[in-house]
Amino acid sequence: MSVLARSVGNAFRNKIRTAAVVAVLAVAIGLALAMLVANQAVGGKVQELNASVGTVLTVNPAGAQGFDGGGEPLTTAQTATAAAVPNVVSVVGTKALRLETATAASTSTTGTTTQQAGPGGGGPGGGTSVTTNLQAAIDAGTLGTRNNASSSTGSGSTGTGNTGTAPAFSLPITATGIGAEVDTSGKALNITSGTGLGDYTVASTKALVGTTLATKNNLKAGSTFTIAGRTFTVAGIFDAGTTFGNNAVYTTLAEAQALAATPGELSSMVVTVNSMDNVDAAKTALQNALGTSKADVTQGQRNLQTAVSSLDSVKNISLVAFIAALGTAGLIILLIMVMLVRERRREIGVLKAIGARNRTIGLQFVLEALVLVALGSVVGAAIASFASGGIASALISSNSSTSTASQRGPGGGGFGGPGGNPFGGASQLLTSVTASASPGVIAAGVAAVFGVAVVGALVPALLTARIRPIEVLRGE
Amino acid sequence: MIEVKDLVRQFKSGDRTIKPVNGVSFELEKGTLASIVGKSGSGKSTLLSLLGALDKPTSGDVVVDGVSLAGLPAGKLTEYRRRDIGFVFQQFNLIPNLSAVDNVMLPMEFAGMRKTARLERARSLLEQVQLDPEKQSRRINRLSGGEQQRVAIARALANKPKLILADEPTGNLDEQTGEHIIELLSSLSRDHNTTILVVTHDRSLAQKTERRFRLQQGKLSEETVRPRVAAGT
Ligand SMILES: Nc1ncnc2c1ncn2[C@@H]1O[C@H](COP(=O)(O)OP(=O)(O)OP(=O)(O)O)[C@@H](O)[C@H]1O
Ligand SMILES: [Mg+2]
Repeated sequence: MSVLARSVGNAFRNKIRTAAVVAVLAVAIGLALAMLVANQAVGGKVQELNASVGTVLTVNPAGAQGFDGGGEPLTTAQTATAAAVPNVVSVVGTKALRLETATAASTSTTGTTTQQAGPGGGGPGGGTSVTTNLQAAIDAGTLGTRNNASSSTGSGSTGTGNTGTAPAFSLPITATGIGAEVDTSGKALNITSGTGLGDYTVASTKALVGTTLATKNNLKAGSTFTIAGRTFTVAGIFDAGTTFGNNAVYTTLAEAQALAATPGELSSMVVTVNSMDNVDAAKTALQNALGTSKADVTQGQRNLQTAVSSLDSVKNISLVAFIAALGTAGLIILLIMVMLVRERRREIGVLKAIGARNRTIGLQFVLEALVLVALGSVVGAAIASFASGGIASALISSNSSTSTASQRGPGGGGFGGPGGNPFGGASQLLTSVTASASPGVIAAGVAAVFGVAVVGALVPALLTARIRPIEVLRGE
Repeated sequence: MIEVKDLVRQFKSGDRTIKPVNGVSFELEKGTLASIVGKSGSGKSTLLSLLGALDKPTSGDVVVDGVSLAGLPAGKLTEYRRRDIGFVFQQFNLIPNLSAVDNVMLPMEFAGMRKTARLERARSLLEQVQLDPEKQSRRINRLSGGEQQRVAIARALANKPKLILADEPTGNLDEQTGEHIIELLSSLSRDHNTTILVVTHDRSLAQKTERRFRLQQGKLSEETVRPRVAAGT
């Protein structure tokens, strides 16, 4: 018999009560852990989104975000104007293309031609459609089909031809001509095999292919495929980190302009500002330099900001809930232990009468509390691992329902998102907050629970010090 | 050597105070076997709790081997109870959810004895008080009153105390087992120089002690000393 063995024994002295206490503790601890997991998951996502929004400004042709069509397309010459704006560190032009698989495209030939002369002066939304022999790596899900349909009718920029083929819709592949080795949000490309394209300003039949697209079409560095009848060589494979992002092809800017038969035209410019603090000032300066009638400057993936702020509130709610649940667990321990100390007054007196030190008795009670907490944590962690996913998505969907509705507002701006709807990406980001219970977070949460339990148990343990040995002579 | 100096313990019950111990003084030489008799409610248990440092006197002092209990801090009093005192409570006061051996091992654990040594000594003590070996690992609340009493005696002997304070140690025992316990206590005082103070209603037990006290109205009086009666003969 040691102090620990005695504590364990005492914890199970009244089995029914122990079961009840463990159950209540498990709920509190489970809730605390689920909230912590949700908090961590959302926090990670917010950081990721902030990093991607970061210091990047996007320039689109004026009016491209509205329904009435804009003025002139952006030109390569304007990149020099943009680059001259203070605090701007780099300007990368992009030219978006929409690759349709040869068979699917053939049924909508009219769509392709209509598209080219499409309203809004060829808004950057859908890009110019050209054919390819590649197969899209993703099948259109419900969302993709719906997004495609709604964006077709919504912005009109993706070509009306698609509406006719909507039931047999296959996802287009995004091809983007880029003026530097960055993606359309200004982040450096992560090339996992092969090499980059070298000089991005000259036309070349080399291309970078997303991982999933490469797998789907059996492409490796050195393989070939066709776009609009021209043969391209795969220079490298990149990983964008998302399924949709990987269903894409990058070519040099000049090549994309040639494919679209619009030399010197840009779909957009990705402008990187030197620091977060200067983003707003640079945005105004850039807008003035380019002229409001010619270009719209938006903060890179501005539409994500609503997502970020709703995720931020989810993060705060989950943090408060975590602390509250943790406090509840501590309070439960405190009350239970105070009750046990009162109940065992006489027995504590006996231990003192036969020479137990105060700290021995205190330790015994703290350990007993920890045994209860350990049991509660095991059950609670099980609850948390089942519940955290549900809790996180419940929190997010209730907090982002308003923001997703408002996201439809700006219409078909952006880069021609992978799903045919630029906001498919944003809602994707929201739902991709998977609250997986990582062992590290659970361990940290359990450590916090034990810390709180020790504090909760310390008060009653100190109470035992005040019990005098003469209690043994009192009646039960 | 234990010296009791003008010990007083008073309780307030309602608006009047009672003094079950009201100016008690005596001395006990090391190795003495002594008894206290007295009517129920006369204050015997109260006196014993003062000697065992379970309670503090209203006034007066207990001096053990030259050390005054009144001057000791709480930590030292705990050490005194652990090392020097073996207390047999009138109501046994064993820990109900522990086994007999575990109860006997407790004071040794508090004294920092190693586990194997504790177990060995606990078993031998339970043997000395004649508890059946198969009952030694039984939980206390499954033992009879007399069995519990013997476990309580074994626990009091655990740390080889200088002074054993036993409150009615044979109250729940049959004559024969009671005789054996008296013999055990008697041999401890004789062979191990342990001072033993027994509270009892049992005439035959009182007869076998070297010094016999009577507590009456808070005062202690001593009966005439007789030569020691060898136990069991
Ligand atoms: N904490 C207390 N508060 C008030 N009165 C007390 C307290 N403890 C004991 N008493 C009273 O002191 C008196 C002596 O009690 P004590 O238990 O010492 O008697 P006793 O001689 O051991 O009796 P018995 O032979 O029945 O065990 C009793 O009248 C009792 O009611
Ligand atoms: Mg009594």
